[in-house]
Amino acid sequence: MTSRQTAIRTASPRGFLRVGRSVALPVRRVSVLTALVLFVLLLAGAVATLSLGRLGIPLSELAGAVTGGAEGKNGFVIERLRGPRLVVAVGTGAALGLSGALFQSVTRNPLGSPDVIGLASGAGAGAAISALLFPDTVPVALGALIGAVLAMVLVYVSTGTGFRNPARLVIAGIGIAAMGTAITQYVVYAMERDRAAVLTAYVNGSLSARSWEDATTIWLVLLVVAPLTVLLSRRLDIGEMGDDIAAALGSQPRRTKTAAVVLAIVLSAGAVSVAGPIAFIALTSPQVAKRITRVPGPHLALSALTGALLLVLADLCAQQLPLFDNLPVGIYTMAIGGVYLGCLLVREWRRGVL
Amino acid sequence: MATTTHAPPSGAGTSRAGTARRVSSLVIAVAVLVLAVFASIVFGSRTTSFGDVLHALSGTADPNVTTIVESRYPRTALGLLAGLCLAVAGTLMQGVTRNPLADPGLLGINAGASASIVAATAFLGATGSTETMWWALPGALIAGLLVHAIGSAGSGSGLVRLVLAGAVLSAVLMAFIQAVTLSRPKVFDSYRYWVVGALGGRDFDVFWSVLPFAVAGLVIAAVLGPGLNTLALGDSTAASLGARPALVRAGGLLSATLLSAAATAAVGPIAFVGLAVPHVVRALVGVDFRMQILFSALVGPALLLLADVVGRVVMRPQELMVGVVTAFIGAPALLVAVRRMRGNS
Repeated sequence: MTSRQTAIRTASPRGFLRVGRSVALPVRRVSVLTALVLFVLLLAGAVATLSLGRLGIPLSELAGAVTGGAEGKNGFVIERLRGPRLVVAVGTGAALGLSGALFQSVTRNPLGSPDVIGLASGAGAGAAISALLFPDTVPVALGALIGAVLAMVLVYVSTGTGFRNPARLVIAGIGIAAMGTAITQYVVYAMERDRAAVLTAYVNGSLSARSWEDATTIWLVLLVVAPLTVLLSRRLDIGEMGDDIAAALGSQPRRTKTAAVVLAIVLSAGAVSVAGPIAFIALTSPQVAKRITRVPGPHLALSALTGALLLVLADLCAQQLPLFDNLPVGIYTMAIGGVYLGCLLVREWRRGVL
Repeated sequence: MATTTHAPPSGAGTSRAGTARRVSSLVIAVAVLVLAVFASIVFGSRTTSFGDVLHALSGTADPNVTTIVESRYPRTALGLLAGLCLAVAGTLMQGVTRNPLADPGLLGINAGASASIVAATAFLGATGSTETMWWALPGALIAGLLVHAIGSAGSGSGLVRLVLAGAVLSAVLMAFIQAVTLSRPKVFDSYRYWVVGALGGRDFDVFWSVLPFAVAGLVIAAVLGPGLNTLALGDSTAASLGARPALVRAGGLLSATLLSAAATAAVGPIAFVGLAVPHVVRALVGVDFRMQILFSALVGPALLLLADVVGRVVMRPQELMVGVVTAFIGAPALLVAVRRMRGNS
């Protein structure tokens, strides 16, 4: 604890990461250190994902298997079973973390996360409708995507103040979520049991049986959107001081916010389309990142890393815990994230914020 | 959400205009309820005419028609009971918490009842409506207490806090429910028919087994009416007037729990009836809780039965469950309320 405090004190002045003469990103040493630690943890999680359990690849053969020398059982595990699943988990977690960081930076409130304001229910309803009405023509993932975007648009319109007022945002989100959930429950009721169970698993957010195509999708989204968020990060940083100051500093807060929300929705929608609506990663990642580093700012990169780490760990639980067989990972994140959100709320209320 | 503070003062209870207004409201509410009951018997996926129903009621109809009409009795009875329970529970909760967003669904009480019913069915093999009813109670109670504990942490209060606490608790309980149901196909099967919130497909057994709990809750609610009126003045004023705020609050929570658990056990978790009805009732009769409880008991069943009728005819020959219909009536009402919210509270 004391060593970290001194680290923060000495590291507080920023260094700059320079690329050529035109790009200079401010970087804090504590953030870099945290990022390194998170990365190492993520690697450890990845190794555990590949090597634990009945079908795991033994540690001694893991290096060879990853670099392409896998055959037989190991080859199947890495190429079909756990490899794509892991890559999708990392990408989805990063996308969700980044999306949550953008949302929370714009709303300046942890509750302004897509998973609190009804994105998941919207995605679930979209998936359910496409599965019930257009089972062969519209892929479930596309339905989820449309539902997610539609839910966010509805929330934005129905608050009357956009994403600005957190109280309105939360209540509107709950209203939209209630309608989405009602649709999903109706469809689950109306289908035959096996398909209903598959749909329920998807609607909770699941990573089982992902393919390399899913991995390509989510990483493409990340590769396109992440550089854009880097361009925005400076302005978001300023935006957290409030609209007036941001405007006075010439950073056009409205345009910045709109851009950030659009990027965040693209990221969330991408995540939904490959893994279904996984709860609470977008909410918790930026908060965890903020609590570890204790420096202000939107923490975009760190949130993405934290999101990836959290999702990989949650999926590790989903695969290896003997509690329940093959539960969708979203159930674990919903349980753990819900408890975390409860603690967060109690703490903030005690301090008199929110 | 200014309804609590800005409800029109209904005048002194004795003023003639106030009494006349109340009597006319009462007549209208009873008439609407009777109409709703009748509609619930007349309309269905099989069409029956007004005359058919009259013949069936007087016992002179074609046996086929009689069977169809009689099959609608249990669901009408259940709708009456559940609507009454939910609406009175919502009124009590809004009175006790002094929060116009309080509702057994939004505040996680229905989720608590559901989780405990699912756990009992999956792990203890509970079956039958009476056993289910008993298991719904502790879940609902614990959920109510937890939400209250989370939502009232720290100083100050916001309208949104309790709702948020309810949403968080519901999410965690939902994770538990999904984990249990997804790993047990049989439980999943019965769960998905129940969670959607349907009045149909249940018989009078369900009605009789939850009735005692509903009656108990209603009796407590009726006793509490005057106490809630005093509580509305604020804790310290209420205490100085000789009321015991803690006792009234505990009684209110107990009654609301009994009522919501009864409704949830009978027809599944249905949200928004408890939220919307008290607002309608306050607009009708003002702030007197004795009147509010009485009118909730009339308006709630009417709303639920009419929602059920809408669900039966809107997608004929298929049915839309009443829980889905109330979500689509209640959520937009909530969104309208959001737009009227001022400031950050």
